[in-house]
Amino acid sequence: MSTPYRLWEIQKRANDGPQCDEDDFLPKVFHPKLQQVIKKYGIKYDPKTPVPADEDLADRVWHAGWELFRDVGLYNTDTHRMIRLSDAEIKEALYMHSGQYWVGAGKDAVLWKHRQVEDRKTPFCLFSPDCTCSEELHYSMCLAYLKEPLLDGFCAPILEDTMGLKIRSASPFEIAGCTQHIYNLRLAAKQVGRPGIFFVAVGTAEHDSGQISVSNNEWGVRTTDSRIIGTLTEFKTADTLLNRIVHCAQYGCYVGNLTGPIYGGWCGGSEGVAVALVAYSLNGLCIYGAIYNQHFPFHLNWGSNTTRELLWPIAVAGQALGRNSPLLYTSNGFSNAGPMTEMVFYETACHALVSTVTSWDLWEMASARNKYRNRATPLEARIGMEVGHAVARQGMTRQEANEIALKLLAKYESRAGDAPMGKQYQECYDVATALPTQEHYDMYRRIKDELAGMGIRFPY
Amino acid sequence: MSIEKLCQAVENGVQDEAEQIAKDLLNQTFDAKETIDRLLATMQKVGDRFARLEIFLPEMMQAGQAMAAAMRILGPTLSQSAAAAQVAKKGKVVLGTVKGDLHEIGKNIVKLMLETTGFEVKDLGYDVDPLNFIKEAETTGADFIAASALMTTTMPHQKEIIDLLKDRGLRSKYKVVIGGAPTTQEWADKIGADLYCYDAGSAPKLMAKLLGKK
Repeated sequence: MSTPYRLWEIQKRANDGPQCDEDDFLPKVFHPKLQQVIKKYGIKYDPKTPVPADEDLADRVWHAGWELFRDVGLYNTDTHRMIRLSDAEIKEALYMHSGQYWVGAGKDAVLWKHRQVEDRKTPFCLFSPDCTCSEELHYSMCLAYLKEPLLDGFCAPILEDTMGLKIRSASPFEIAGCTQHIYNLRLAAKQVGRPGIFFVAVGTAEHDSGQISVSNNEWGVRTTDSRIIGTLTEFKTADTLLNRIVHCAQYGCYVGNLTGPIYGGWCGGSEGVAVALVAYSLNGLCIYGAIYNQHFPFHLNWGSNTTRELLWPIAVAGQALGRNSPLLYTSNGFSNAGPMTEMVFYETACHALVSTVTSWDLWEMASARNKYRNRATPLEARIGMEVGHAVARQGMTRQEANEIALKLLAKYESRAGDAPMGKQYQECYDVATALPTQEHYDMYRRIKDELAGMGIRFPY
Repeated sequence: MSIEKLCQAVENGVQDEAEQIAKDLLNQTFDAKETIDRLLATMQKVGDRFARLEIFLPEMMQAGQAMAAAMRILGPTLSQSAAAAQVAKKGKVVLGTVKGDLHEIGKNIVKLMLETTGFEVKDLGYDVDPLNFIKEAETTGADFIAASALMTTTMPHQKEIIDLLKDRGLRSKYKVVIGGAPTTQEWADKIGADLYCYDAGSAPKLMAKLLGKK
């Protein structure tokens, strides 16, 4: 945890912070303040330039996000009070964040370090399908992702069933599902020879009881792993989430703050999403004690973030955070298309390209908007991570990234609303060997060669 | 002051102005049916613009609030008119996000879309026990039970509502509508829901159609 020294002072504010009716919080507190800072700092979306190289704009977004977080804070729906911090407390938390943390254990441990804009340091690569999967495929999918060469950390698919029974949140079945989830994951990591790899686990736990039940350094989620704790959209929390913060702090594992500001929702347009991403990052640091933030801004209608109205805030917020903070933050891609389609490869490549050049680490890939069971594979995530490594190593500039992003957008943007769902994992992977089918691999290779032709210099 | 100006104030989401124009209208002779028809048409227009994201949720909400404010003032007069009887409510809906799920933005958008297109909505909020959906539907004489879920592990609570209705011999009494990011038509079919709404914008038309209304 990055702010244990303030744990109880901050928790106390959930009890005695300024009160507000929940129905009033978003329309009367959050939205007016967001509008005010967008105007005050002159933030304007430019659809022609999904990757702007405007450092003054990035700094203004940083200041707007800071002001939004400081003045709005985080609303606790259980106590109807807002947790707020002062400028001094935010500065203190930023100072106390080391900018780098060892995650994972033994030979598999990785030093996760803050990245700068146009940094040649390769991004931290967190692989995650983000979808649910069938019980009988869970272990195979864990194996398949853990076989990925560039994997620095892994967040496994979510179980819907355990022992043939539907998992219901906050019930005994959830605890059983969480246990099954982590055992599958541990076994898969051991079998592929990565026993200490960094996990973000367990996604099957929706309730705090499920999450807490698998904290165990021998067989469960270790203190070298991470839990991801969500913020309710927008800028709300609840005791069940705060319980996890206290548990993680006392257990000693890492925390990531999960946020999904909605384009078209209370954040409004691209400008609001960019400002919210910065504010959420400060929230994660200060209130959740997160060492990293996991952001998945998404489109209200499509549930994706690979079109330009989402790439722009990702690019701008990344630059704001990269230039002004030591924080760690992953950019979580949500594609419209599903596995084994050309479109999902283009979307993932574009998302990873834009994110990497603007200082993000990568969290790929929620294929088919993570809506459908079994509809994600490691191969689309692989192409994203390979793009991230390539463009970092070659020192790609924002201008160059913008040109390639425009070419890629031209290939898929018009199909965002009715994208192909693609195949399920078991249709394009061999479940026994946890390897892609030849047809799937050939498609990946063909798109990778095409990307190389656009100027992305892959090392292999 | 005219109905046209009232509609404009609603479309712009200016609540104070809508209230003032509505008060002024009360002092004039005005056509109740035309007023209702045009206000509903205005909200349909606003809803269509929101569906295309030409405007965003806050603007949509503001328009809805302006509409509600105007109706609070005009309501007593309108309800006495013969016209009001012709514009009967399209249906009563008990709406909520299921137990264990704290997400309600999608549910709130559905609520707004339904209310502004002629449905009467009882919003139970989020983290709603399956039995409470049914008790509230019984109390209010609802036509629909509409349950939203944003997490895969809370989706089973949508099924629980249907199972409880069956066990209580009430299944045929209510149309059960489900929605939420992880839900699909396949899930709706599997649990025996009457209707799956892919997004908030589709809800009013699909639900009206289910009751055989326009």
